[in-house]
Amino acid sequence: MQVVLEDVGYAYGDLPVLDGVSFTVGEGETAALIGPSGCGKSTLLNLVGGLLEQQGGRIATMGTVPAGCLNPLTFVFQDFALLPWRSVAGNVALALEHHPLGRAEQEARIASVLQLCGLTDFADALPKQLSGGMRQRVGIARAIAVKPAVMLMDEPLSALDAQTRELLMEDLIAIWARERTTTLYVTHNLSEAVRLADKVVVLSRRPGRIKRIVSVPVPVNERQKPEHIGLLQQLHDELWSLIKAEAQVADREMQHV
Amino acid sequence: MSDPAKTPVSFRGAGFVPGTRRWAPWLAFALIIACWESASRLGWLPSLFMPAPSEVMNALHALLVDGKLLVHIGASLKRIVSGWILGSIAGVTLGFLMGIFVLARSVGLPVVSALFPIPKIALLPLFILWFGIGEPSKVATIALGVFFPTVVSAFSAVDNVPRNLIRMAQSFGLSTRMIVFKVILPGAMPGILAGFRISTSIALILVVAAEMIGADTGIGAFVLAAGNLMQIDQLIAGVVLLSLLGLTVSALLSVTEKIVLRWR
Amino acid sequence: MLKRYPRLAVLFAVALLWPGLVLAQPKEKVTISALPFISTAPIFIAKERGYFDAEGIDLDIKIFNAAQAVAVAVASNDADFGITAFTGGFFNLAGKGALKVIAAQSREEPGYNFVAYVASKKAYDAGFRSPKDFAGKSVAITTVGSSFHYNLGMLADKYKFKLDSVQMKPVQSIPNMMAALAGGQVDATILPANNALKLESDGSGKIIGWVHEHTLWQLGVLFASSKIVKEKRPLVERFVRAYQKGLADYAAAFLAKDSQGNRMIGEKALALMPVLEKWVQPKPSIDTVKVAANYMDPQGRLLVKNIYDQLAWYQAQGLVDKSVKAVDFIDLSFVKGHRDVPK
Repeated sequence: MQVVLEDVGYAYGDLPVLDGVSFTVGEGETAALIGPSGCGKSTLLNLVGGLLEQQGGRIATMGTVPAGCLNPLTFVFQDFALLPWRSVAGNVALALEHHPLGRAEQEARIASVLQLCGLTDFADALPKQLSGGMRQRVGIARAIAVKPAVMLMDEPLSALDAQTRELLMEDLIAIWARERTTTLYVTHNLSEAVRLADKVVVLSRRPGRIKRIVSVPVPVNERQKPEHIGLLQQLHDELWSLIKAEAQVADREMQHV
Repeated sequence: MSDPAKTPVSFRGAGFVPGTRRWAPWLAFALIIACWESASRLGWLPSLFMPAPSEVMNALHALLVDGKLLVHIGASLKRIVSGWILGSIAGVTLGFLMGIFVLARSVGLPVVSALFPIPKIALLPLFILWFGIGEPSKVATIALGVFFPTVVSAFSAVDNVPRNLIRMAQSFGLSTRMIVFKVILPGAMPGILAGFRISTSIALILVVAAEMIGADTGIGAFVLAAGNLMQIDQLIAGVVLLSLLGLTVSALLSVTEKIVLRWR
Repeated sequence: MLKRYPRLAVLFAVALLWPGLVLAQPKEKVTISALPFISTAPIFIAKERGYFDAEGIDLDIKIFNAAQAVAVAVASNDADFGITAFTGGFFNLAGKGALKVIAAQSREEPGYNFVAYVASKKAYDAGFRSPKDFAGKSVAITTVGSSFHYNLGMLADKYKFKLDSVQMKPVQSIPNMMAALAGGQVDATILPANNALKLESDGSGKIIGWVHEHTLWQLGVLFASSKIVKEKRPLVERFVRAYQKGLADYAAAFLAKDSQGNRMIGEKALALMPVLEKWVQPKPSIDTVKVAANYMDPQGRLLVKNIYDQLAWYQAQGLVDKSVKAVDFIDLSFVKGHRDVPK
């Protein structure tokens, strides 16, 4: 399924945060959305996911919903958003149990996503017993359990330390290798974007406008290969030079909230 | 070249560590009672003003022997439990409505704020007019005393359920009803249980006021009668009973918290 | 001559002034705790008419609003004397040795309406017409161990019904008792005359008898702290003398009867109205005084045996400690001619 954005704008009261944003995330494509802090990345994601009411422009999905999909637009949150009183399996079940799946199908789905995310041994653990990385694996497992048409990932690795982030990126790549889901991935981390995305959408500082859209010309599962490292580093530097000036200005702006 | 003198590093991080000593409160209790008893025995505390702990124990024992103790406790517990349950159900319901619906909050908050500080004891004559001098007025006194703090604690408990959990539930397509029962209710449990700690204490405090009118049994009626008769040992015995009841309720709540809030 | 004998002059002056110096000797400060009721009238009268001053007593009257507080104030030595009704609490306090009963206040006396048994309209219509029939009825009283409770106890003894069969409803205050009766929440209550008559005139209750028609007893007393009785006996004697003068004035003004046996409220009563208006709460009119002025022995003589009986009753009910003995807290030496003194 594709996501099409046309001329999307948004303002919190008098404060415009998005202005004339248009781009498309293609079928099975991972688009990273980067930009300085406060540029409206997360706002855009919430608009796409239907958690914020649209104010201007058009946001639409195109294409067919995959078989077995229960929740076409599915989020993975920065703070995991796990129910602390439910076990790992119970948190995944929350996404399923209000659908008429049948007990067997529900349990099969839970078992399969826990397996996929390496959580099988932790099915009965409570979130407080898990490390940050494991908690986000639960968040990811919950998202893929509903077989989403579009994954909306809101800085999913930002709350994790550098090593854990590295491990989770490898997990994500492995998961995507099995099932290519259209993904909109918000991050402020350039390395993540260069490592995971097929396409990087760079937003300007507030109000966020599209500054550039850059394709990453290396397949996701080959980016660790030595022959590509130079190219990717160059891309990273190029993106940084695009953002740096914006980030400096944004950093000096007073908070308006 | 000689070795520079080695200075051992000394530990300076002692103290300021949170923690408890299990024996300390018991020892303190025992010490206070021992001091009190000896002050009475030595005649420093005239029994007219403060009876010795042994006299209080005798009074309690006498009550136990003639079987009135259970009658009083039973009568009071019936009023406390029914009043507390009524007040809590009504309070939690209104608190939830106020936490979830903007309209209920806009109407409820000022009304609750206006009525909360009214001393329920002052309303006792009114309750007698409405409910008579039988059990209903006593239960109503306790229920009303429990209701307001419960509304406030349930409301703020709902308000304190992390917004991101609600947004998460919405993003997975849960209906409002499902969000209330699967996210808000369990999420508000810690706040509601904390509120129960306060409301059970209030119920215990109000049982004395509730039993001022037309009660011939109950711990509150017993304490009042002892006060009127200047039977200070019995008065203190009644107060000790109330405080034991309070400790029991608090222990029960702790157990409940341990079970219900295992996830914390 | 005075110039030549200055010392003589001084002596002369001193001799002339001597009686004045004696008179100017500071009066002894004494405190009494009391209720602002007509039953305290003898004290008010004696104070306003200077009987205490004449005995060299500068009396300070501390007004409380509950009989209990009056007794506690004396037990804790915040007041030297107290005057109020007997309650279970009074006997328990007296049992601690802090109080001595020294003279009488109100009592139930034949021919003097004071406290009435009042039935609710409904109970009356259902046939509740006599205090003999209290068994099985619900009755509003102030508190357990109050004089109203004892009233019922005496009735139970006299008319041989079980006190347990009466459902006592303690409601803390006389206004609450009236409300409970008027609201039909109890079958009966026991009220002072003015309250009882008010209920009857409102049509919400029926007086079915007066206490003095059934049981006679000593309601209230004047008492002193044990300390002052022990250490300042002459002062207590002077105090009782002044109190008796107040009692005599009260009796002359409010207790007199005409040849038909009807109570007369005349010149003497009118003359005392300003005193009552100053001290009694709520402010009385001559009509309320006519109803509420209760009988007191004009010399302050106690019905001693009744006090023993009261104590025994409270003890039998388990409301007063068994170790309390009447003889320990009654001092009969300040008033002559007490009635029914047990041998």
